[in-house]
Amino acid sequence: MSRIQERMRARARELLAQGTVQMVIGWEKGTFWYLSPPVFITDAGECDRLVWDEFCANNLAKYLLDYKHTEDKIALFVKGCDARGVVRLLQDNQIEREKVYLIGIKCPGMKDGRLADALGEERRHEVPLVAKCRFCTHPEPVIFDELLGEDEGAAARDAAAAAEGRFAEVEKVEAMSPDERYTFWTSAYDRCLRCYACRNVCPACNCRECIFDRSQSGWCGKQMNRGENMFFAITRAMHVAGRCIECGECERVCPEGIPIMTLNKKIIKDLNELFGEYEAGIDLEDLPPLGRYKLDDPDEFH
Amino acid sequence: MVKIAKEKLPVLLQAWAAGAMVFVPQEREGTRVFLPWNGEGKLALGEENTLEPPKDLFFPRTETMYRYKVQGQDAEITEVPSFEDKMILVGVRSCDARSFALMDDVFLTKGYVDEFYRRRRENTRVVALACTEAAPTCFCTAFGIDPGRAEGVDVQMRPLDDGYLLEAVTEAGQELLNQAGSLLEEAGKASPPGAALPSLQVDVGGVTEKLQQMFEHPYWTEVSRKCLGCGACTYLCPTCHCFDIQSENLGNTGYKFRCWDSCMFSEYTRMAGGHNPRPSKKERLRNRFLHKLQYFPERYGKFACVGCGRCLDRCPVNVDITRVIREVKEVTL
Repeated sequence: MSRIQERMRARARELLAQGTVQMVIGWEKGTFWYLSPPVFITDAGECDRLVWDEFCANNLAKYLLDYKHTEDKIALFVKGCDARGVVRLLQDNQIEREKVYLIGIKCPGMKDGRLADALGEERRHEVPLVAKCRFCTHPEPVIFDELLGEDEGAAARDAAAAAEGRFAEVEKVEAMSPDERYTFWTSAYDRCLRCYACRNVCPACNCRECIFDRSQSGWCGKQMNRGENMFFAITRAMHVAGRCIECGECERVCPEGIPIMTLNKKIIKDLNELFGEYEAGIDLEDLPPLGRYKLDDPDEFH
Repeated sequence: MVKIAKEKLPVLLQAWAAGAMVFVPQEREGTRVFLPWNGEGKLALGEENTLEPPKDLFFPRTETMYRYKVQGQDAEITEVPSFEDKMILVGVRSCDARSFALMDDVFLTKGYVDEFYRRRRENTRVVALACTEAAPTCFCTAFGIDPGRAEGVDVQMRPLDDGYLLEAVTEAGQELLNQAGSLLEEAGKASPPGAALPSLQVDVGGVTEKLQQMFEHPYWTEVSRKCLGCGACTYLCPTCHCFDIQSENLGNTGYKFRCWDSCMFSEYTRMAGGHNPRPSKKERLRNRFLHKLQYFPERYGKFACVGCGRCLDRCPVNVDITRVIREVKEVTL
């Protein structure tokens, strides 16, 4: 990992010094050893702040929206999921390809900072993968301008296990009776604080203005109760249907630990069954199933 | 001094629950929150603080203020019944106890009394629990809070190996202990472990004065870049107290409610005409820190942070108020 970190810093320094980009977005060391939050570097002299370790879990793609109305070209370090987030934004016509410079890193899977805290630093090597990485099907970036660490970073998980376990949580919920399922989802979303961290981190949530930031519209209300919480959950899930890149950030950032990805994956699983296998954010040319029309599209609704 | 054996604590909670709603930290989905005690939950008193602060017991997330009915030109208003229940909060840490005092400043002083808050607050007794272990995110001592002894509470509990020492601080607290009767025993020479000492330290001296000169400082652009603009920090903060008032209109009838709001949201400051004086996350994040560290001290002479560390613990991008305080003190004006 440290070799990649050195090359990361060196490349960032070059790109900024040459004026190829005006900003580099990567990760830096946070308050604790198990936190590597996003960092934004505009000065070539500050590139040693960049780190690459097992806690660089944050998906950086969404930040590109903050700079879409500037003239700046931005370099972004991308793991598999960050790269898929960039494809999401490109396909949704949110950003221009020539205004981003993508430095790919093959991701070995990130570790769970919260569990790391409980284990302690002396047991750092025992920290398990963060949930979002456990069923990752694309640890290597799917889009990039250059790739760091070509010989390193074979995925820590094996692809077969990832493919098999990907819908395990969905199947558990599908096996429940309707009443059990109702209890499962309502008890999860009764905890929802409506902090909107899930929405704000999500590369597929790229509306210029979100319906939930317009509580006077009459469509949705600000009351924190079961009805409004469920309305938020279902609306967001349906709005990212077919566009969710499975980065799992929504679930990772949720302060209340709501199993948001189980909901998203249920929709992915249904779409796969209805429209054929599709993975969002992999191929720029392959449009989402609900974002295109084919004469032979099924018209039944489950 | 009296003590209670660990296994007798649920019996005591049960006894208190006969005359009041008892809220105590219990396990929920792998975390700890204040939940009503019904004799069946799993107590979580030996761990770190609760995920959510107990503020919603005085200041509910959503609260109906009045109901209305419209008929032709006439309108009828129905008041909601006042909150008469008695509450006992057990296991409140020193940081959260301080937050109650800060909320009291907002809702009960300077000529404004919020009746919704007052009724709940006055009907509540607080049983504090001393901290003997600090989480990595704890920094209450930075604000002069003693993790071993809470302010403004009725009973102070201190954990022992096999139970808890109980000390009545107020008359109401003594009444609570009187109710415990034979469940309590003389503590003799039992000596509780020392109070926790947080490893995270920050010197807040001078930060207000520095911030007073920093409203337009470029620091806010830099520090806000990584902020997602979510409201996790504000909703998990024991001292954040902003609310919105809206109506739920059901044709000719409806009700007015208030619910938590967050200065991190764009809608919070959006004017009727669409103008927003805090157009981006830079202005919103700046407001959050200025409120905690400048405006509140200017108005009430106290910081509106208690060092509970919940924002630091749950922020998805590690926006760290202790780091902000340190950096604010260092930046060049």
